[in-house]
Amino acid sequence: MSDTVTAVREEVRAWLTLNWDEASRQPRAGGTREFLQAVLDAGWAVPSWPKDYWGRGLGKAETSAVIAEFARAGAPGAGQDRSNIPANSVMQFGDEALKRRMIPEFLLGATQCLLYSEPGAGSDLAAVRTRADRKGDSYVVNGQKVWTSGAMRADYGLLLARTDWDVPKHTGLSFIIVPMKSAGIEVRPINQITGDSHFNEVFLDNVEVPVANRVGAEGEGWKVMQTALAVERLIMGEGAGERRQGSFKDNSVSLIDVAREAGKLGDPVLRQEIAQALAWRQLNALNLVRAKQEMAQGSASPIMSLGKLAMSRILHGDAAVMTKLLGAASMLDGAAHERAADANYRAANAYMTSIGGGTDQIQRNIISERVLGLPKELEADRSIPFRQSRAVTG
Amino acid sequence: MTMIDAEERAAMRAGFARLLAEKCSEADVRRVMATPSGHDPALWQAISGMGLPALIVDADHGGIGAGPVEVEAIMEEAGAALFAGPLLSSAVLAAGLLNESDDIDAKSRLLPGLAAGETIAAVALTGEGGTWTPDGVAARASAAGDAWTLDGTASFVLSANIADVLLVVARTADGLGCFEVAPDAATVTAEVLESWDRTLRLSRIAFSSAPARRLAGIDGAAIERVLDLGRVALAGEQAGAARRIFEITVEYLKTRVQFGRPIGGFQALKHMAADLLIDVESATSAARAAAHALADDAPDKAVLVNLAAFACADAFSNVAATAIQMHGGIAFTWEHPAHLYWRRARADAQLFGQSEMYRERYLTALENAA
Repeated sequence: MSDTVTAVREEVRAWLTLNWDEASRQPRAGGTREFLQAVLDAGWAVPSWPKDYWGRGLGKAETSAVIAEFARAGAPGAGQDRSNIPANSVMQFGDEALKRRMIPEFLLGATQCLLYSEPGAGSDLAAVRTRADRKGDSYVVNGQKVWTSGAMRADYGLLLARTDWDVPKHTGLSFIIVPMKSAGIEVRPINQITGDSHFNEVFLDNVEVPVANRVGAEGEGWKVMQTALAVERLIMGEGAGERRQGSFKDNSVSLIDVAREAGKLGDPVLRQEIAQALAWRQLNALNLVRAKQEMAQGSASPIMSLGKLAMSRILHGDAAVMTKLLGAASMLDGAAHERAADANYRAANAYMTSIGGGTDQIQRNIISERVLGLPKELEADRSIPFRQSRAVTG
Repeated sequence: MTMIDAEERAAMRAGFARLLAEKCSEADVRRVMATPSGHDPALWQAISGMGLPALIVDADHGGIGAGPVEVEAIMEEAGAALFAGPLLSSAVLAAGLLNESDDIDAKSRLLPGLAAGETIAAVALTGEGGTWTPDGVAARASAAGDAWTLDGTASFVLSANIADVLLVVARTADGLGCFEVAPDAATVTAEVLESWDRTLRLSRIAFSSAPARRLAGIDGAAIERVLDLGRVALAGEQAGAARRIFEITVEYLKTRVQFGRPIGGFQALKHMAADLLIDVESATSAARAAAHALADDAPDKAVLVNLAAFACADAFSNVAATAIQMHGGIAFTWEHPAHLYWRRARADAQLFGQSEMYRERYLTALENAA
């Protein structure tokens, strides 16, 4: 370990000792908000960013050390230069005034939701028809968004809206931060096939948003959103879409446990299927470990883009094996039939990973185009003014 | 115990890759596979000059003292080039058995020659059932005083046709043992079996009261440890070969034009390629993780070695088979390299045992770890 890493590690430890009580996992003084403010003031929130922008200008290894120390102590708020989607988007694309105004809010825990997909713009996200029309220093926003998680409690919505209808679809979009308390926003929960309602529809009816809330230039929204979306896909590839988060081991034990409970752990055919399901999971975990090692050595790894697609197969596969192990009992549901309820929930929820954030089919397009360099999909409306696209003309 | 660092490892690997690019091209592979021996002595000499047969031999016997991590890395390159020389039989399995042995005489007699590449050894591990399990051993050893003789058969023995010495796993009254046998003895009858993978030479060997010398200190557990090293080496070969035929296929998708555009623009093929990339990357990760686990004698080495054994075999089989389909007609021709990879994939999927066996062993290892 290099001297600078050791020095940073010691400095973080000393700082945490003063400000965070590890035993109770609570701030020594004040509440979470005060603690996050202290983390921000100390530069731990975004260690790799420049000193003028809430950071410390640290390198990769030093930043990892900061994150590791906070994780060890169970303290929140550090390393948001890697995890906070809106803060990163504003830092990368926002103008100076927006940075000063919004970034501290996001780093202090302001929550956001993603206003991207629409009923007519799912896989073809660049076909969004929600409009943001200029009126003086404001945009007037009208349209409908879907698949927005956390819309009920979010402070801000990250909106992809059309600001120019006379240029091709990718170039007429803008990325705008919308306060969710604004007049004209209505949020309605979507009832999912799992029985949950994590997602919402969001209706925007003459919502006025300051032009100053735009991230990046007008017409640059697609690029800004792509950057944000890449971070989300990475997180999904690590299994964030799973109901039960936990280590690989927990999951392996559960499949083996289900088989044992069902009296089928000795079935040689089912053992093959259990082994294969567990193997897919472990192979994905090994890929992620290797990708992180390769990135730590400075080489971009193509593996990171595979995680979400691999995770789809894992989650659908787990649920299929569990169902097979349960047999007829898998028809049941409810608290009295916990294993069946779990298997059925997993079977339904697996679609969240294989559809959400880009379907498996879109992921395969992305992998084959961006990683393997194969030709891009033909798009009938890629080069014509969006106004003339069938997305508009029907 | 690894005695070389990551930088030296990378340099060795790069040097081997350059050598193979120069001396083990597809044309070379085809030339050598058409010879009776299937062996390229000039290439083997060059490989020996790089010290690769000495990889896992200790310094006292003229070796480098490296371990599974280096073996795996070298085998990735060997697999990519479809190299078919005696690396696996002589430098991995035979050197591995001698490393496990405490037979001072045999080690000092055989290891320096193996390390220099001047002696080539073949290792007979299984009978005609080809299971690579203790039950599958069909050679029997009997003792008369200190002298041993072998009867029965061994089969699917790699590189036996060019071997100067045979190391034969055989049943004894006290379990499995390993025996040194001279391949040219009149009591040893070896025949090369015609094989689907034309680059390999697999031999069936019959022993008829063949004089044998027992390697001291080799029991069933030691043989299993050597097989683990062999599994990691084979996994590396599979991972490297899968990656190369995948690269060849992706390149073809970019250049082959039908319907007025490169066929790589069609989703049917793009999606197949994306799925295969997961196989390729997973095979690489699995082979390397198994190598590290073996090198570190990690608690999860049984899990990782068995995982690599079937994941790499299945990945290479799937990638090589799908590559033919993705190419279309051109890959149905003898002159196209795809079938060479596919033939190797089919052979490698059998060597040391099938995926079904390793999936079962993997699950058992996970149960034991829980």
